[in-house]
Amino acid sequence: MRYLVSHTTTYTYDDDVTDSLGIAHLVPRALPWQQVGEHRLVVAPEPGDVSKDVDYYGNTATYFQVTRPHRILDVTATSEVEVSTPAYDDAALATPWEAHRPLARPGADGAAAATDFALPSALVEQAPETREYAAQSLLPGRPVGEAVTDLVHRIHLDFDYDRTATTVTSTVAEIFEERAGVCQDFAHLTLACLRGHGLAARYVSGYLATAPAPGQQRLVGADASHAWVAVWVGGQAWLAVDPTNDQWADDRYVTVAWGRDYEDVPPVKGVIFTEATTSTLQVAVDVAPM
Amino acid sequence: MTVLREYAATVTQPTLGDEGEPTRYDEVVRPDGSLRPAWKGMAEVAVGLTPHDLRRVDGEIRRFLTDDGVTYGRPGEAAGPWRLDPVPLVIDAAEWTPLEVGLAQRAELLNAILSDLYGAQSLLASGSIPAAAVLSHRGFVRSVARASARDPRPLVLSATDLGRNAAGEWRVLADRTQAPSGLGYAMENRRVVSRVVPELYREAGLHRMEPYFSALRSALIQSAPGDPADPRVVVLSPGTSSETAYDQAFVASALGFPLVQGSDLLVRDGAVFLKVPGRLERVHVVLRRVDAAWSDPLELRGDSQLGVAGLVEAVRRGTVRVVNGLGAGVLENPALLPFLPALCEELLGEPLRLASVATWWCGDPAGLDHVLGHLDAVDVRSLDGSGALAGLGRDGLRDVVLAAPYRFVGQERLALSQAPTLGRGSVRPQALTLRTFTLRYGSAYRPLVGGLATVLDEAGRTSSSKDVWVLKRDPALPDQGLADVLPLTRVRSVSALVPRVLEDMFWVGRYAERAEALLRLVLAAHALADDFRSRPNSSGGTSLAIVMTAVQRLAGVRFEETELDREFRSLLLDPHRAGSAAHALAGLRDSGMGVRDQLSPDTWRVFGVIDRAREALGESGHSHQVAESAGRMLTGILSLQGVTASMIRDPGWHMIGAGRALERATQLCHLLRATTTVRHGIDVDREVLNAVLAASESAVTHRRRYRGYVRPAGVLDLLLMDPDNPRSLAFCLAEAATHLGAMPASTGSARPERLLDGLRGQLDGTEVRELVAIGGVGRPNLETFLDAVLGQLARLTDAVAELHFASGPTPRTFGSALLAGPSAGPAAAPVQVPAP
Repeated sequence: MRYLVSHTTTYTYDDDVTDSLGIAHLVPRALPWQQVGEHRLVVAPEPGDVSKDVDYYGNTATYFQVTRPHRILDVTATSEVEVSTPAYDDAALATPWEAHRPLARPGADGAAAATDFALPSALVEQAPETREYAAQSLLPGRPVGEAVTDLVHRIHLDFDYDRTATTVTSTVAEIFEERAGVCQDFAHLTLACLRGHGLAARYVSGYLATAPAPGQQRLVGADASHAWVAVWVGGQAWLAVDPTNDQWADDRYVTVAWGRDYEDVPPVKGVIFTEATTSTLQVAVDVAPM
Repeated sequence: MTVLREYAATVTQPTLGDEGEPTRYDEVVRPDGSLRPAWKGMAEVAVGLTPHDLRRVDGEIRRFLTDDGVTYGRPGEAAGPWRLDPVPLVIDAAEWTPLEVGLAQRAELLNAILSDLYGAQSLLASGSIPAAAVLSHRGFVRSVARASARDPRPLVLSATDLGRNAAGEWRVLADRTQAPSGLGYAMENRRVVSRVVPELYREAGLHRMEPYFSALRSALIQSAPGDPADPRVVVLSPGTSSETAYDQAFVASALGFPLVQGSDLLVRDGAVFLKVPGRLERVHVVLRRVDAAWSDPLELRGDSQLGVAGLVEAVRRGTVRVVNGLGAGVLENPALLPFLPALCEELLGEPLRLASVATWWCGDPAGLDHVLGHLDAVDVRSLDGSGALAGLGRDGLRDVVLAAPYRFVGQERLALSQAPTLGRGSVRPQALTLRTFTLRYGSAYRPLVGGLATVLDEAGRTSSSKDVWVLKRDPALPDQGLADVLPLTRVRSVSALVPRVLEDMFWVGRYAERAEALLRLVLAAHALADDFRSRPNSSGGTSLAIVMTAVQRLAGVRFEETELDREFRSLLLDPHRAGSAAHALAGLRDSGMGVRDQLSPDTWRVFGVIDRAREALGESGHSHQVAESAGRMLTGILSLQGVTASMIRDPGWHMIGAGRALERATQLCHLLRATTTVRHGIDVDREVLNAVLAASESAVTHRRRYRGYVRPAGVLDLLLMDPDNPRSLAFCLAEAATHLGAMPASTGSARPERLLDGLRGQLDGTEVRELVAIGGVGRPNLETFLDAVLGQLARLTDAVAELHFASGPTPRTFGSALLAGPSAGPAAAPVQVPAP
């Protein structure tokens, strides 16, 4: 599938911002199942300084600094992306999940590189509850593909999608307690479940193309950024699954960036110098089939 | 009996009851009671030292350290005085040489490891270092682990903590690579010890430390990226509340580089600049004393106010070199220790010369088994010092380790060596560790020939420090082996007069003046009180009460008038009482600390005098001690004038002057407002005016001019109008105008200057005879006038702050919205789950 993705983040302040520095993770990754065509990132007002770099995880990170006083900062990324459904090696998915624990088997092919994603991270701390919860899916000797799919299925059943349940700073323990959250929370929860058993799993940030309800027009700008997880299944292979929607990532999933958790790859983050006391944030995302 | 003989007798005596304890190696005395070779050369002098000598020396050390204002705080505690033991740790050349070779090799090895961890990571891929041991360490900074951030020499200055085992062999206890502290303390220790035991120092024939600072300076200048013609180096400090603030300021001033804080710097176009008023000055090298995590709110901890937003980007662009590199903290990792011997063979092709203390990494099953099997015999530590392990108990510790074994190591507990240490009047053996420093100088790593020894108490906490004397093999050898120290590259002399520094300077002036005013007021009031006590029927009671209203106006009331002495003590001793002399003195010290690198070391003698006066007052309950101590504090404050008299006439000096002048004017107006606007009868008024003259240091002038004839008009003329009385309002305003006019941001018509002109014009148009005019019980014109002047002075100081100290708003972080990604939701059509 081919998509034209546009993602606009607008910050509005009640006083002048004299200096604003930011980092954006908005350029989709080039992957075996994803080709990135034309891409543009526009910051307004025009930054005095912009630079693109490849970060530790291979994502494109864009640094910008706006020093012209402003009350509105607008960051817009547009990308043409062609995605196909990733293909997996059935034999790899059929191996027991225990084989893919980088700390327990540091000598395994790809284990050193996967280690970073098996360790706790800032937003994915270890908790006995999530470990226990995951144990019912991660049964001894179970094939990794099946075990992970089952875990994702249970999370989808047991947890409610609720925009009011959590905030950006919610911890996994709070999500588990609330039994509800948004896609980012579902992803963090799944990561905690998997890492708690020694599996390596990364947080994937991107978009999901949504089809309009039958008989209705597609609403432009009504989409949102999305997050899911990818589990290491040996070698260089990672199985991407979406706990929010209980499915494997397919050709509707546009991958932008990945890291240990949200904190590694927020779409936009930054530091401002201002006397302003309030700021508002608006995000508009559109994933249009081409 | 001399100290050393007695000590030798004690430590060689077989002790009873502690057979289980391994014998410690003694740094001075051999098991047979004779002196170690290092002490032989000094034996004659050293053995002659009596307990009395040592106590004298110890007293002198304390005084020197107070005069130099040397402080240190244990993590999480307020800074207290630095402690230095009079008996140095002495190491002879034969023993030092292998240590030196081992330290240089270790730095080379650590640098190679660091380069790999932030580059190819081949050591992780091959398993030479377990990935979990590095990636779970919070010192691993991913934002500089990029191809763009390659730093060929990420390790410039490292420190190594060593201890000796029972056999007397040195073992590395820990590596300090994040932002090693202690060079300043080491240098200060040497300065003090060389002064208090000069005979011993002369006999020793040891390496002086100065050339090492020159080498460090040159190494920092040369580490500037891109070979700029005029490299600028700054020392980045987390601020005066840092536990090693003294060390940072010492190093900065010894090197001649400005001591800055994060808010003094900013990033533009991917480069770092110093915010000098009116312009930005490019910074090429940052000697970093802020932990990496706090160095950039944009890409590291967002809640940090200590860093510079964009610093990481500047590092990646190669426009600035941070020393040590932002990622260097990952080497402060005990889990690396078991792997160093093999890594040394692999990376340097030679055996590791300096062994580390035996360490087992729990991420390795065999290591975990060993540690859990010996929980009573090993020290369990986390890789990066995070997580509280103290007081967990055996089972608690086992559970914590098992939950994430790769986060922990177990380390052999060394029976550290001991050395004679003075405590409570006698010399006793106490355990010690040695911190050494290693610098990348030219193409090789060079250890400092010397170091800093830490004396530990029974609980293993720091109790004091020792100077470290490394003896020369041959007196003709150059100090530090650095005869070839590169001549210091000429760098632009730096005046880091950033807004924060100007503000601190302004407050140095204001607090000094405020302290002086309060001290004089206390002295005047105390004299009145004394007088009144001896003549209870005089009018003194009323006069005293009136003078005390001036105190109340400035510092409120704490104690009833019946407890006047307690009130005075509180004014002199309670730093938390706003408006008190003690409060002003604490503020003065704090402001001074913030600009320590810009002030003469003599500044700290002022506090030495004040501290001793305060201690004397605390120890004596006599009333006369109030006046005695206040007088000595005043002596200290007055000597500050002598210190600032020798300062270069730069904007910093002018800010001190402006602060002084404006504060003096303010204090004077408060004093007059409290004491002279209401009439109390001729006798009382005369007594009050005399006290006012005393408190404003104009009594002598007044007596000479008016021959003891005290009347309001004369007093007010002298204190408000007289252009030649440095205590008068007119004089203070003229002074302030001169100082403000000399500031770079002044234009002649900037707001502070306009306000000041207005105020001076108003004063010129005022006649004393109008001010003293009587209306009812008081002098309404005077009251109105003083209130107006005080209001304008307050506006003026605000305007000064706005023009000269404004540094812009503090940084705040922003993020993205909560991801509200599309969800089919439970109500939607079931999504097909592909079969695995």
